[in-house]
Amino acid sequence: MSIVTVQLGQCGNQIGFEVFDALFSDSHCPQGLCSKRENEAYQASCKERFFSEEENGVPIARAVLVDMEPKVINQTLSKAAHSGRWKYGQHSCFCQKQGSGNNWAYGYSVHGPRHKESIMDLIQKEVEKCDSLSGFFIIMSMAGGTGSGLGAFVTQNLEDQYSNSLKMNQIIWPYGTGEVIVQNYNSILTLSRLYRSSDALLVHENDAVHKICAKLMNIKQISFRDINQVLAHQLGSVFQPTYSGEGSWHYRRNPLGDLMENLVPHPEFKMLGVRNIPQMSENSLAYSTFTWAGLLKHLRQMLISNAKMEEGIDWQIRPPLSGLPALSKMSTNKEFHFNTSIANLVILRGKDVHNADLGAFKDPALYTSWLEPVHAFNVWKTQRAFSKYEKSAALVSNSQFLVKPLDVIVGKAWNMFASKAYIHQYTKYGIEEEDFLESFTLLEQVIASYCNL
Amino acid sequence: MGRRRRCRVGPDEATRALPEAIAALSRTLPAGPSPETFRRAKFDCPEAAPALWRLLFRVLSPGPPDGASASLSLEAQARSVKSALRSQGYPSQALAQLPDNGSQGSRQLLLALAWLLARGPLLEQLLAQSRVRLGDEMPVCECEALASPGPPAPGMGEAGHVDIRHLQWLMGKLRFRWRNLMASQQEQCALLGQIHLYTRGCHSDRSLGHLSVTETELLRDPEGGRQLLRRLESENARLEAALEWRRREQVFWQWMDTVLGASQPTFLPRSPEPGARELEPVARELQALWEQLQEAVEARRAAWEARVGDRGPAWSAARRALDEVVGQDLAALQRAWEPGGGLTQPHGPRRLVRTEAGAPGGPGLRAPEVIEALRTQEAHLEVVLRQLQGHCRQELARLARALPGLIWIPPPGR
Repeated sequence: MSIVTVQLGQCGNQIGFEVFDALFSDSHCPQGLCSKRENEAYQASCKERFFSEEENGVPIARAVLVDMEPKVINQTLSKAAHSGRWKYGQHSCFCQKQGSGNNWAYGYSVHGPRHKESIMDLIQKEVEKCDSLSGFFIIMSMAGGTGSGLGAFVTQNLEDQYSNSLKMNQIIWPYGTGEVIVQNYNSILTLSRLYRSSDALLVHENDAVHKICAKLMNIKQISFRDINQVLAHQLGSVFQPTYSGEGSWHYRRNPLGDLMENLVPHPEFKMLGVRNIPQMSENSLAYSTFTWAGLLKHLRQMLISNAKMEEGIDWQIRPPLSGLPALSKMSTNKEFHFNTSIANLVILRGKDVHNADLGAFKDPALYTSWLEPVHAFNVWKTQRAFSKYEKSAALVSNSQFLVKPLDVIVGKAWNMFASKAYIHQYTKYGIEEEDFLESFTLLEQVIASYCNL
Repeated sequence: MGRRRRCRVGPDEATRALPEAIAALSRTLPAGPSPETFRRAKFDCPEAAPALWRLLFRVLSPGPPDGASASLSLEAQARSVKSALRSQGYPSQALAQLPDNGSQGSRQLLLALAWLLARGPLLEQLLAQSRVRLGDEMPVCECEALASPGPPAPGMGEAGHVDIRHLQWLMGKLRFRWRNLMASQQEQCALLGQIHLYTRGCHSDRSLGHLSVTETELLRDPEGGRQLLRRLESENARLEAALEWRRREQVFWQWMDTVLGASQPTFLPRSPEPGARELEPVARELQALWEQLQEAVEARRAAWEARVGDRGPAWSAARRALDEVVGQDLAALQRAWEPGGGLTQPHGPRRLVRTEAGAPGGPGLRAPEVIEALRTQEAHLEVVLRQLQGHCRQELARLARALPGLIWIPPPGR
């Protein structure tokens, strides 16, 4: 089944390109560590999901590119075409001549309705090319102007027009010390609308990915390209093909559907975080070996202690003893607290994957009281190695990962709102104070729900 | 027990004929036990009991066997058999009182089997269930799915503390599964369409014109062809056994008479009487209630008429129009709920055949008709859903008003 990707704004388009590139490179990687037949099945599955076929054999990404200015889209199109390996469809993009100046309200109330028909038409054409549609990825930033406002509008329209299809928003969480003054306003407005119309919000934190680039990949001058590539690697390790079940050798038809069914069925808990291990520069890769036991032990501690990467993990944090309340209530004094999960999905790729022991992830102490590990924990596997890593593991988690960052953003936005700073930029285009208040209410409710696990 | 009395069978032939008849029956039934088991059951031997419990379970389960039902313990199967027989109206108390562990009661089980056989076209139904299907099939009505609700779910644990979040989680999971199922079905349809398109002109039967998935696999994979052949052969064998059974069943029924005679007399002939005596006062009560209701209805109707009074010709015209609208609504309701949504053809799954545009097409239903009927049903169900949602909202609003000082924050929905 196919997934159609909508790339929105500068952020969405640059990341989207890296994602398709990573997927394509991995599926054509010669070091898959598996038989030729298996490799072909893997390639075919990846291709059907993310690419469509053209007459001269160059795969075309199943994507729609949207931006209010032409520069980034043109760069993205030409980068893809130059590689000669895959490309974007000639008529799959929509852009205008002027930007929206980081104005969320302009993106949502003006650009959106004005260009709704053209954009939805493009998406419809892409959907019609699919034999069967699994759902949509919408890649966007949360804090900018075009990506966030227009992204919220487009997601709402996708919900109206394709209410039975699944929608996952890949959201880029801005740097804490970001450049856009109103980024917190934009963030809360975006998140509250997406919470209503999307099925799952997969959050990628710029700060976290930046640290990975610095500490693990040893990159000196970190560019956006580096960050996007790490992000793309994470997404690829989640959505590349996996076996459909224990003991099966067929690839899963609908990973998006299976993921959503296992992680986000509850309407109040839709925020997902991704972690993966190991992550290192290609040079170091050649000199490293891994065991599943080691990788999983680190991954589990990353989950429990809310670490963003495998370095600097706090090993002091332990699951609470049964019978005692979890130390998970939000407290400004306590810096260290245990991260309670609602549901987790672990994805294992590589050699000897069937011998990996996941018992530690099934510990009831990791999970909230109202969901048992047998329902809360899922694992996907494939023998085929990902992107030259002999063994790699990814974790998609619906847990308290994002409570603190969300609380910080809501707090900052509220402080600005209390003094009505910059509100006129929004009311000018039809976003009223009530809309802000509704957003605050919804997000406070989400924070409270996650804290009360 | 209904069976036809025909000419008597001679004693020598009788000794041979009975085991052969039972053997034929056994070959027709799925999971049929040996004639020796039947003989043991007549004498109520405990060794025969498990096989008969399993046979009855297999016979009474709706639909073809799947891994889940086959792996149920003997105890679970026995419980399921008891509840299924009860719901079919089996009159004997003795069977219901047998222990669940499946260790006893072979004679009672034998009688139950004979009851089922005599009652209706059991063998024909079982054979139809496990028919080898060559075409790509699709159901056009929901009768089968609605009629067989499946095995009873294992008892939910202690009715103690249930976290509402867990229920919301399960509801959400159900919704996602439904959406994923729809996506899978669309995928299946798209792929079937492609196969039918590509194999145009390949089928020897002109009226079909193209191959089905099974037939295509036959051509692609010789091993698949061999398996299909084996399945067809075993189905043939069962059909032949069924025919043989029909020729010989006379002898079986005579033998069953002796089994019935050997069993305890707490069986059929006694039960209707006490029931009939109990029913009379109930019947009289019902009649009295009905008469009371009639009186009340008349009184109310008269009161309404009086209140409405005579508002002139405009009113009666309006009223006639109202009556008409209501009548149409009711008729539409009835049509929408007719089995098959008003389709006059029989139920059950149908083979999918793709024809060229403009070609006349063969016998059977046309896709546009089925789609139309389904759309009508869907529209009706949507209306009912909206009404129910409206009721829920009103109820919630009422509850909210009843608790002052409480702030209700509605969930983040549309």
